[in-house]
Amino acid sequence: MIFRAVPGSARGAEDADLIARVRKGDVEGFNLLVSRWEKRVFNYLLRLTGNPDDAMDLSQDVFLKAYQNIRKLDDTARFGPWLYRIAHNEAYSGFRRKRPEVAAPEFETGTETKDSFFDRQVAPGIAIDLSLAVSGALDRLSPEQREAVVLKIYQGFKFDEMAEILDCPVSTVKSRLYTALELLKTELAPANTRGIR
Amino acid sequence: MSTKDNSACERANLVPDYAFDELAPAERRSMELHLRQCAACAGELDQLRLTTAALRVLPDQEVPRRIAFVSDAPASGAWLSAFWNSAARLGFASACVLAAGLSFAAAHRQPVVVQTAGVSDAAIQQAVDKAVAVAVDKAHAEDIQMTKAALDAVDGKYAQKQRNLMVAMQETLVDERKRLDLKRVYAMSSYDTPRMGAGQ
Repeated sequence: MIFRAVPGSARGAEDADLIARVRKGDVEGFNLLVSRWEKRVFNYLLRLTGNPDDAMDLSQDVFLKAYQNIRKLDDTARFGPWLYRIAHNEAYSGFRRKRPEVAAPEFETGTETKDSFFDRQVAPGIAIDLSLAVSGALDRLSPEQREAVVLKIYQGFKFDEMAEILDCPVSTVKSRLYTALELLKTELAPANTRGIR
Repeated sequence: MSTKDNSACERANLVPDYAFDELAPAERRSMELHLRQCAACAGELDQLRLTTAALRVLPDQEVPRRIAFVSDAPASGAWLSAFWNSAARLGFASACVLAAGLSFAAAHRQPVVVQTAGVSDAAIQQAVDKAVAVAVDKAHAEDIQMTKAALDAVDGKYAQKQRNLMVAMQETLVDERKRLDLKRVYAMSSYDTPRMGAGQ
């Protein structure tokens, strides 16, 4: 399907081989595993935190935890969701460390910040107003809605995988995603007509 | 996109699931047929594709620096891994180091203690015997010295008394001798002188 960004099943078999190598003590096998996932994990964390330095630090923590706990992974075919579950927890732990009174990403729903990550992200070759419109629309989503969009649209996870990552029912995942897409459709409709069509 | 916005078709709620390839194969085939006949759902699908396409204009960023590991193999046991990841490991490590240090010190002090304990029975008895003997000898010597001093003192007094007595006896003897001499002289003088009156 065209909405599936990165098929998880294609990665699964090779990941399982690498995980088996890691469990036998092959550190280089884990480095190969990292090289397959680091860009995706980094961008997931970047879209959650909006800060490249934080995202890089969190990515390192995520892979270190994954390395330390890889024997706890029961189903090697579920390495992706398992890794993103660690990333999700690390991101929210980071938010709590920075601002203990908030348990979620610190950018507010419905407010547009001048220096937000999405405002700085402009795709080359695409109309600037569309990129800015997308960035602004994503900024106005709630953290939960934004994370659902990131996991589905940018990371290409299935609903059951998203439920595993977010530790919530599939129905909740769908609700967050569809509400977010409804808001985005309304926000981006004028820009769509100018930039895509 | 949602059922409430697209109430014209009761299957509109399946459009997102179809778009995201989340339907079972049978449902998917059924939805494909439905989309050919339902303009509302087809329009909803187009809107959804347009929105997601717009979202994808934001590209992924490259990782600023590569992540690589050069450490040892992961922990062999789940419990060990869990402990190693816990905050208590530093405290436990400190306690281990302290316990090891104490054990090492105790182990190296033990021979000294054992040696002391091994000699103590004989050595202490010998030392006690020796100390007692020395003390007894010393006390005995002191007693002898004191007794001798006392006897010497008594002897001295007795000798002095004897000397005084001898002196007194000699003086008495001298006096007695003098008195006898005087008596003898007087007697002799009385025998040699004529008596007047009775012979005449």
